[in-house]
Amino acid sequence: MTKPRNRSMRLLVGIAVAAILLSFGNPATAVDDGARAYWKARDGTHLVSVQYLFLDLQATDTQMFDPSQFIFPNAHAEAKLFLASYAEHFTLFDRPSSIAFNFIGGSVDVNIDTNFAPSQFLPTGVRRGASFSQSATGFGDPSVALDVNLFGTPPLISTVDLMNYEPTWTIDAAVLFGVPFGQYDDDRLVNMGLNRIFGRIALPMKYHIGPFAAGYMTSFELTPSVWLFDNNDDFLGQNLENDPLWQLEAHVTHDFTRDFYGSLDLLYRRGFQSKINGVEVGSELEIGNLGLTLNYQVTDNFVIRAGYSTNVFGDSGLDNSVVRLQLVYGWHRLMQNMKKLQGH
Amino acid sequence: MILKGKNSFVAPAFATILALAATVGAMKAQAEDAPQTQQKSDRPNILLIVADDMGYSDLGSYGGEINTPVLDKLAQRGVRFTDFYVSPTCSVTRAMLLSGTDNHVAGLGNMAELIAPNQIGKPGYEGVLNKRVVSVASLLRDNGYHTYMAGKWHLGLEPDQIPRARGFERDFSTLVGGGSHFDDAWNVEWQIPKMPYTEDGKPVGKLPEDFYSTKAYTDKIIQFIEQGRGDGNPFFAYLSYTAPHGPLHLPDDWLRRYKNRYDEGWDAIRQQRLARMRELGIVDKGVNVADRLYFLPRSSALTPAVRVIQGRKMELYAGMVEYMDDQIGRVFDYLKAIGEYDNTVIIFISDNGAEGNDLRAMVAGQVGSMGFLHAMNSFAEDAHNSLGRKGTYAEYGPAWAQVSMVPFRLFKGWTAEGGIRSPLIVSGPGVRGAGDINKEAILHVMDIVPTVLELAGIEHPTTYKGREIAPVQGKSWVGMLAGRTQSPRTSDDWLGWELFNNRAIRQGDWKISALYRPFGTGDWQLFNLADDPGEQFDLSDQFPRKKQELVAIWDEYAERNGVIIGDRSPFEQARKGLPDPVSEFDGYPPLRGLEALPYEKLIELMSGKPEVK
Repeated sequence: MTKPRNRSMRLLVGIAVAAILLSFGNPATAVDDGARAYWKARDGTHLVSVQYLFLDLQATDTQMFDPSQFIFPNAHAEAKLFLASYAEHFTLFDRPSSIAFNFIGGSVDVNIDTNFAPSQFLPTGVRRGASFSQSATGFGDPSVALDVNLFGTPPLISTVDLMNYEPTWTIDAAVLFGVPFGQYDDDRLVNMGLNRIFGRIALPMKYHIGPFAAGYMTSFELTPSVWLFDNNDDFLGQNLENDPLWQLEAHVTHDFTRDFYGSLDLLYRRGFQSKINGVEVGSELEIGNLGLTLNYQVTDNFVIRAGYSTNVFGDSGLDNSVVRLQLVYGWHRLMQNMKKLQGH
Repeated sequence: MILKGKNSFVAPAFATILALAATVGAMKAQAEDAPQTQQKSDRPNILLIVADDMGYSDLGSYGGEINTPVLDKLAQRGVRFTDFYVSPTCSVTRAMLLSGTDNHVAGLGNMAELIAPNQIGKPGYEGVLNKRVVSVASLLRDNGYHTYMAGKWHLGLEPDQIPRARGFERDFSTLVGGGSHFDDAWNVEWQIPKMPYTEDGKPVGKLPEDFYSTKAYTDKIIQFIEQGRGDGNPFFAYLSYTAPHGPLHLPDDWLRRYKNRYDEGWDAIRQQRLARMRELGIVDKGVNVADRLYFLPRSSALTPAVRVIQGRKMELYAGMVEYMDDQIGRVFDYLKAIGEYDNTVIIFISDNGAEGNDLRAMVAGQVGSMGFLHAMNSFAEDAHNSLGRKGTYAEYGPAWAQVSMVPFRLFKGWTAEGGIRSPLIVSGPGVRGAGDINKEAILHVMDIVPTVLELAGIEHPTTYKGREIAPVQGKSWVGMLAGRTQSPRTSDDWLGWELFNNRAIRQGDWKISALYRPFGTGDWQLFNLADDPGEQFDLSDQFPRKKQELVAIWDEYAERNGVIIGDRSPFEQARKGLPDPVSEFDGYPPLRGLEALPYEKLIELMSGKPEVK
């Protein structure tokens, strides 16, 4: 009986951890795209971004997973992640586009309170009341994201194009593709990688209000999307499937000054029903986060962004918060050359 | 020479007007505060429309590419004049416009804002429309006309100097020279941070949030006419727009009306205008455009992006002109709706040449000055895409001002033709020759008072309210408009100008001009405007006697009008304030000769990738 009991418990904990990681720990799914993520820059613009993410999740009851199947132990997860991205803006089929490569690394710590686990599900050697914790450190799964404007933005190739750019409605198509190159140990409950291919299809839309000039800009942004996951056929020796995760991201952004804007952020997610070996486990996820982002343009090239969000609706038993600090450095050949000439 | 329009006609009301003029010719003006109400509905209404800083060649009917269908139609219905003169700046012109006499007599010997120390307190230099003259509005009101004004006054701020005190029974006016066209109403002068508005002589408090000057003035003039038309008396409506005076402001939905229209640059637009002016007959076939000012680059030497930046300002200017044209159309539609259009003499002019000076820089002053503080508070925003909106101060600069003044030289502030030549369209009863272009008559803004008075059958008085009144120096156009003469002036008549110590005399085709360096020599130069309207060739050496004659006329002009040459002028240091000349030696700019290449090809060449052949 020990083995099944242990396997059950391991599965149980594993599911909890997987949910935590998929929802909050993975680089691609951890946070929203962010305010003004789909604004277009001039063809040939390069951006390097480094983000520090502090994610904190506390499951306080059994709401996350259906108690009729398994007792979900209280779980606490904490992730400290670094997300590095390189993006380039270019023109694809005469449409302004961008491609971004995302790399993740960091650590995740998960603690399970075994007080709430039925005795038959206690892992071997673990006494009721004893804490169970596990950590993972390393790289997560990298991903590549492609965004193409469908409507509302002309090609931004020359300076003239850029100067004449005054968008109102814009609609993009965006896809993301993640590959399981990240750290994964099928013996461990907590990993940085997902051990499966995943992807996302999004339809970013935005509406610009008022002058498209620094200090005046206001936008409303809405990005419906769906995350799709391949099966993880080595999830503690079992096969893990997940339904699509539907996501709606919205921002209202406004310039306070030429160099400083703020954004009210909404991230709503639903779906992601888990199945182990074809059997549904727990219930689907539903989380709605509200947040605030502040963005400061330090120099022509350099931006600092800070944000905080927390869940305000959805599964009330799943408290989470995300703190983000992001540094972005961007450049374009002509801008840099102009500076050189001005220097003379 | 008169270029005939396609549809000449004799307005049937003209004979009536002349008869009326003869019978009431001896009528004397009455006291300002005791208007008579005479039932003379057969006298024409008079609608005097003044644009602010609009150029000579901006209207479609004068060769411009700006869409001005209403005024173009007016030109087809009436007569255009090619040689109509105003003063180099606005308040000076307005003093002559309302008094019919020279600015040095009427109180605007110099602009109040720029008066020289030795001119302060001298007669004719009061800086306001003084009491040596009586405004045409007072005379018309006293003789049974309703007198309305909407728009820019700029002839005095005190209670006895404002429109209500100078003959307008109804007014909605801004008393100062310029500022925001929106409800924030910041004034260009820091000394009076907000533009004072009056309505019927009383200060206007906060303007409505949707206030936009051109529309507001149009609304008011229509309102005044509507509210006053019950008694059947004719009206004199002075619609004195502040467009397209800087700052270049437009309602949001008009901001991009000319998007990218001017990206090709000022040189190309100047040539296009000249070609259309030749085609229309505004200028003779042999006339060339004045040289681009020495410090301005050829537009083809500018990068496409800079041309877009510069073009955006001209886009705003063009939008303001078209918006004004559109609003004038509203007035005309209203007059037609009430059956008064055919009984209204309409006169359209600009108050001076297009603005090519950097007024914004003058206003903003130096860092640390009050002007700078005022600018920071009022119009510091200058992002490319926000220009034209509230809080911005765009001007289009000397290069575009030269476009507006094709084919002439220079712009507002100077007594070169570019500063003092204005379009003039006259239409309505008594105006013969629909669609004609009169190139014969040399006219002046002072002529409008005697013309209007004659149309209304009123004689200009020698005294008014017990004070002696300076005689009118202008000449009535009524005979000319009726087709009896080609010009109210003979070949011996002359016109004179002086402002900021720049001076000019025109007699026939000849003109002498003395301008500060670098635009002049500081001394008299002689030009023949028939051959050289751009004032490019100084003929002083070839025709010294003619020059001498004209200089003698200048002395007479100065003596007659009490001209005091200032001991200070805003232009005396013009050379120091101007940018360095753009090099014109061979090999500059580096891409000379390659301007015709596509932009992409230029970039390729500049990057050194392909071999340059």
